[in-house]
Amino acid sequence: MLEYSLLAGILFGLYFGLVALGLNLIFGVMKIVNLAHGDFLMLGGYGAYIVFTDFHVNPLITLLVEIVIFVLIGFPLYYLLVPRLQASRDPEMLSLILFFGLSQVIEALATLRFGSSERSIPGTVLGDGPISLFQQTFPVAWVVSGAISLLAVGAIYIYLYRTRIGQLTRAVMAQREEALSTGIDVQRISAIAFGIGIAGAAVAGVLSPFMMGSITPSMGVGITITSFAVIVIGSLGNPLGTVAGGIIYGVALMFMQTYFSSWANLLPYLLLIAILLVKPTGLFGRRMRNA
Amino acid sequence: MSREGSSGAGRPPILAVEHLVKRFGGFRALDGVGFTLNAGEILGLVGPNGSGKTTCINVISGIYRPDGGRVLLDGHAAGGLPSHRLVRLGVNRTFQVPKPFLAFTVRENVEIAVAYGRDPHADPREFIAFAGLGDVVERQAATLNSAQQKMLDLARALSTRPRLLLVDELAAGLNPSELEVVAEKLISLTHLGIALVVVEHLLGFIDRIAHRVVVMNAGRDIFHGGLGEASRDPQVIEVFLGG
Repeated sequence: MLEYSLLAGILFGLYFGLVALGLNLIFGVMKIVNLAHGDFLMLGGYGAYIVFTDFHVNPLITLLVEIVIFVLIGFPLYYLLVPRLQASRDPEMLSLILFFGLSQVIEALATLRFGSSERSIPGTVLGDGPISLFQQTFPVAWVVSGAISLLAVGAIYIYLYRTRIGQLTRAVMAQREEALSTGIDVQRISAIAFGIGIAGAAVAGVLSPFMMGSITPSMGVGITITSFAVIVIGSLGNPLGTVAGGIIYGVALMFMQTYFSSWANLLPYLLLIAILLVKPTGLFGRRMRNA
Repeated sequence: MSREGSSGAGRPPILAVEHLVKRFGGFRALDGVGFTLNAGEILGLVGPNGSGKTTCINVISGIYRPDGGRVLLDGHAAGGLPSHRLVRLGVNRTFQVPKPFLAFTVRENVEIAVAYGRDPHADPREFIAFAGLGDVVERQAATLNSAQQKMLDLARALSTRPRLLLVDELAAGLNPSELEVVAEKLISLTHLGIALVVVEHLLGFIDRIAHRVVVMNAGRDIFHGGLGEASRDPQVIEVFLGG
């Protein structure tokens, strides 16, 4: 029971790391909290659901296509919203209002289009039978989701630490003003990060019918809150700390569901409060951010 | 030592500043300043505190938008372009207070500059060696002393392969032997055809490297010529000594 909870927690934790990754990347680069993050995830989930039910396309293929689509949506959306926001007096505060509004719009349109009932994709489309890990058996979908999450995190790591644009992205994350004045094209770097951020949400969205059981148009807000808890645990603005935050969240969630199941829904808030009391920079934060 | 820059006949100067105006509220930090600069030439920009020297460099390098007048690069309007566009056109600068990425190493700082510069195949080591930072390549920029940070700023600016380099008080705080080294380095850049605008309070340093000077006061250019002549110009004397 203990081993099962721990391993399931790690699998879920990897997935939650992926769920929150894009939110943290966008925050790190733009100092903007994308409160519509969970709604982009929901759209990614409905994309996979519709393409699967209407055309019988495997969600893993949809996943690759959605990466491209969401990056391409991200660019114009960035240029439409963010530069104006940053020209305002209090971009961090106003970003909360703007993206909360965007979240509501996306949720309302999705409800109109998809209806409010719960949708799901059978887990067997990702592979047959349970998979055995360390003498414990888990649904294939969990293991596949965990593996895809690891791949996605690895891809973000390679992007940030092994590519030129990634290096510039880290420079913008570290010192935005200096990046602007020394001649880095901060808008372009930010637009790319925004595209990658919501594409990350979409990838997590494709996996969400399997990891969360079902999807609804109103799932976004809860996902955003969970993601926010995960990145605060890991540390705001440090995308790779998100993975650690996700695993801590996932393991804690599994233990709660196993031993105190009626309290499990409180978990994101409890962890959030505990971390903010004990170590406000997050477990892997290097310094207080200025806000 | 008054050498002429290598201006090709009939070609526009690499930099022409015409009647440049920059206002901060009601204060005219730049009030019609103008000068030109050719490839391979060093122009000293001198003047009392608050005369607009750094503001002038900030406008040319795209930190501020001009409120009037023109900045021409090779005869093409470049006033108000953002810094990253100007870097691509071959303009870069150093800062009075250097702005390295503090959490990154010297090598990473220069690599970043190469990544947004004009020559993505440039070798960061070349610029680090030029700036005399070979011994501290893997040190975090935050751990460098201020002279080293200034040299890192120079290496960063050069690694974008500028044709026009704006140097803001690079010499302040350096000891005499360091000053001589820096002077020689800046002069060596002109042999590559790089044009330099050097803002400096140390007139001895300006005298050592500049082909000519522009004396600024209250946002205007009040003198163009050699530093020696400037020191005999009555208006310049009045500005500097408060006449």
